[in-house]
Amino acid sequence: MQFLLFNFLNPAFGMLLQAGGNGRFAIAWEKAQHPDLSKFLIIGALLFIIGVAGVLTRRNIIVIFMSIELILNAANLNFIAMSRYLQDTGNVNAVAGQIFAVFVIVVAAAEAAIGLGIVIALYRNKETIWVDEIDILKW
Amino acid sequence: MILSGWESVFFWIFSIAAIFAALLTVMARNTIHSALFLISSLVSVAALFILLRAEFIAGVQILVYVGGVMVLFLFVIMLVNVGSEERGSEEIFNRSRQVTTSVIFCALLVGGLLYAINVGYEGLQKRDEAAVSAAAEQRTAADQNLPQAATGSSRITKETERVGAGLYRYGSLPFEIASVLLLVAIIGSVMLARTLKQEAAVDDTAPEILQREAQHDPEIAKLQSTIAQ
Repeated sequence: MQFLLFNFLNPAFGMLLQAGGNGRFAIAWEKAQHPDLSKFLIIGALLFIIGVAGVLTRRNIIVIFMSIELILNAANLNFIAMSRYLQDTGNVNAVAGQIFAVFVIVVAAAEAAIGLGIVIALYRNKETIWVDEIDILKW
Repeated sequence: MILSGWESVFFWIFSIAAIFAALLTVMARNTIHSALFLISSLVSVAALFILLRAEFIAGVQILVYVGGVMVLFLFVIMLVNVGSEERGSEEIFNRSRQVTTSVIFCALLVGGLLYAINVGYEGLQKRDEAAVSAAAEQRTAADQNLPQAATGSSRITKETERVGAGLYRYGSLPFEIASVLLLVAIIGSVMLARTLKQEAAVDDTAPEILQREAQHDPEIAKLQSTIAQ
């Protein structure tokens, strides 16, 4: 299969490539055409950071739960990328990462069920979903 | 593991989609929109799983996360009726000082993580160079001997078979513990989400709480009198 999209884009970047020669841009373009383990880890790290930012900044307790799901999902992505990397180093039966990912999904489902049960009970008693208004533990 | 050709095109499409959808999850004002963006982020990550040849996990991700957990989220959003609260000019983020601190913290964290990934991956590459190139030749030979799918239309990998075998061979005890955890979660969420009326109906409330609530809720008072008989 020909490399249609990159061939289509290349002329647009041709000027830059020629100007850069063997510069950083050409190397980065070459690397972008062949994503490896580190790219997957970077995507996982970015998803994780976005989840952490959501937990720290949002006031809505349901969105905080969704951010936690994002964090768990980023961990899953890392597990599976690592599992694939281990398979590529010659260990064909390396599926530990995928097994871990299954358990992470199980724990995430249990956590969502319990957490949303707590949210419903809280809303019934306090009539609010803003976390900064839920302060009855603060004396 | 080096992707090439169409795989790398799809990698960039789905990873950028996942990150944008995740950003919009955190930034969206309407909680329903947040949930829908989270669904699209999860689906994009499932596509990345398929690129990593983890078809089973991708299927589980879509079935459990998108089909189960996110539907639960949407139900709860509709149950607690957040739409009416968010439509106004109510602030969706914390106070600006907290937001600034956490954004600075996250920027430092992302810098540290990216640096660690770059440095660590270079070391890893140097260590595994020989093993990767040796395995690559074997793999191309093995990839050409994949079994035909039942439909005859495509070749399928044996990945799911391997995951299932590994799950029962190495992870059978955690598997059982996970089933107990799910049972506890089911019972816990049912217990947490009960109303006082439902608790009173099965006679599972302290008498003094029932006494207190009965004063301003006639239905509870009626239940209380039936229990007393």
